[in-house]
Amino acid sequence: MPNIPQPQRQDEPVVTDADLAALLAGTTDAAPGLRPVADVLAALTAEPTGMELAGEAGALAEFRRQAGAQVPAQRPRRSSELRSRFGVKVGASVTAVAVVLGGGAVAAFANVLPAPIQRLAHEAIGAPIPPARHHSPSHSRTAAPGRSGVHGEPPARGGPGASRQARPHATPTPAAHGNPQSQGKKGNPPGEGNGKGGQGQGNSQGQGNSQGQGNSQGHHGSGQGQGNSQGKGNGQGQQGKAPHGPAQQGNPHKKGPHGSAQANGRPAGHPRRSVHPRPVMDP
Amino acid sequence: MRTSADARTASTVIGEEFADLLAAAQGGSEAAFSRLWRNANPALLRYLRVIAPGADEDIAAETWVHVVRGLASFRGDEQAWRAWLFTTARRRAIDLARHRSRRPETALDYATVAQLPSSADSAEAAMENLSTAAAIALLAGLPRLQAEVILLRVVAGLDTESVARMLRKSPGAVRVAAHRGLRRLAQITADAGVTL
Repeated sequence: MPNIPQPQRQDEPVVTDADLAALLAGTTDAAPGLRPVADVLAALTAEPTGMELAGEAGALAEFRRQAGAQVPAQRPRRSSELRSRFGVKVGASVTAVAVVLGGGAVAAFANVLPAPIQRLAHEAIGAPIPPARHHSPSHSRTAAPGRSGVHGEPPARGGPGASRQARPHATPTPAAHGNPQSQGKKGNPPGEGNGKGGQGQGNSQGQGNSQGQGNSQGHHGSGQGQGNSQGKGNGQGQQGKAPHGPAQQGNPHKKGPHGSAQANGRPAGHPRRSVHPRPVMDP
Repeated sequence: MRTSADARTASTVIGEEFADLLAAAQGGSEAAFSRLWRNANPALLRYLRVIAPGADEDIAAETWVHVVRGLASFRGDEQAWRAWLFTTARRRAIDLARHRSRRPETALDYATVAQLPSSADSAEAAMENLSTAAAIALLAGLPRLQAEVILLRVVAGLDTESVARMLRKSPGAVRVAAHRGLRRLAQITADAGVTL
């Protein structure tokens, strides 16, 4: 049978790509041959049914849980941060106050504070009474470039380390305890006590001669000095020439109970603080 | 039955209001999120009924969980929003298909009568559901790519370029697949005399 091409049916609508594109876009009415397809597509986009909206509660619950998980996750973090910051500030403040008060108390009991403050400390916490300042004509601040010693406890001089001098600590006991610490290689003789029980810390260095007012004795190298205040005072000083050298008796020039002393004929500096020696009757 | 294509477009796209709704939902507004969900979930279910029959609701629920978690960081317009939503659903469907191919199982869960949503006009709802179900059944008879392209173009409201990116096809291939699917659908309806 010959293959005769059949002519296209006249009643069959012609569908073009433009019609299909318009059908997909949904902007125009469908061509006559695509109306059933347009109905199918319209059914696909029909209004939602109840079953299709049944899962709204679950989705909202998930949304609520997710939204709720974000908010409380931030609030505790903020409060904890605030608490931590506040705690750090409080801790730093307490530490600073403790350091200041503790340092002040230590300084007060060490009797190294300025006199007015030391008096306040004495009244407040029972710190030692500040030493009375004594003025003497022979005082010479320039003579002692370092720390001044207690009255009756001359500064050490003569060595390269002469800037370090004896540093007194007044004690209520008649016996003065010199600060025995020899300063390194310079060989500081011990300090000497003064008449009022001052406690000396001899820090004379090098070949300095410490000289005390009153009768004080020290042991160079032993780290302890003893002084006996004896009224007018017979100054016995010690001096160290070497770090481990033997203590030598100084050559004090007694100038009365408050007189300054000199070592080796050199004028001693006037101590800034002086303690009036309590006269002790020499037996 | 609605025959106007304009009504179809109006029902699937939120429009200018979308940006405000999205911002409000990202800010925690349940009403805004509900509006987004009610707009997109029916289309999502209809799409999933074709590409993952029997698991449409589960995949839709997983999709929304994923979307809710990433909602705050989402940036884009309505096209991007729908593309993100349907891409997520499609990936879930693919994962489920792979899982089922490795471990086949039989679903035993079913909804009780009390769990079924009630409608004020049950007859109308049944007719609408029937019409939609018949349309989905017709689409399901098409080849997978053709059906998916038509669903994404018509139901999801995505343009050709978005569908091409989603399916990893060229826009021309997507256009050809859509036209072939529509021609085939027209042939089926003409031969069977389908009336929805």
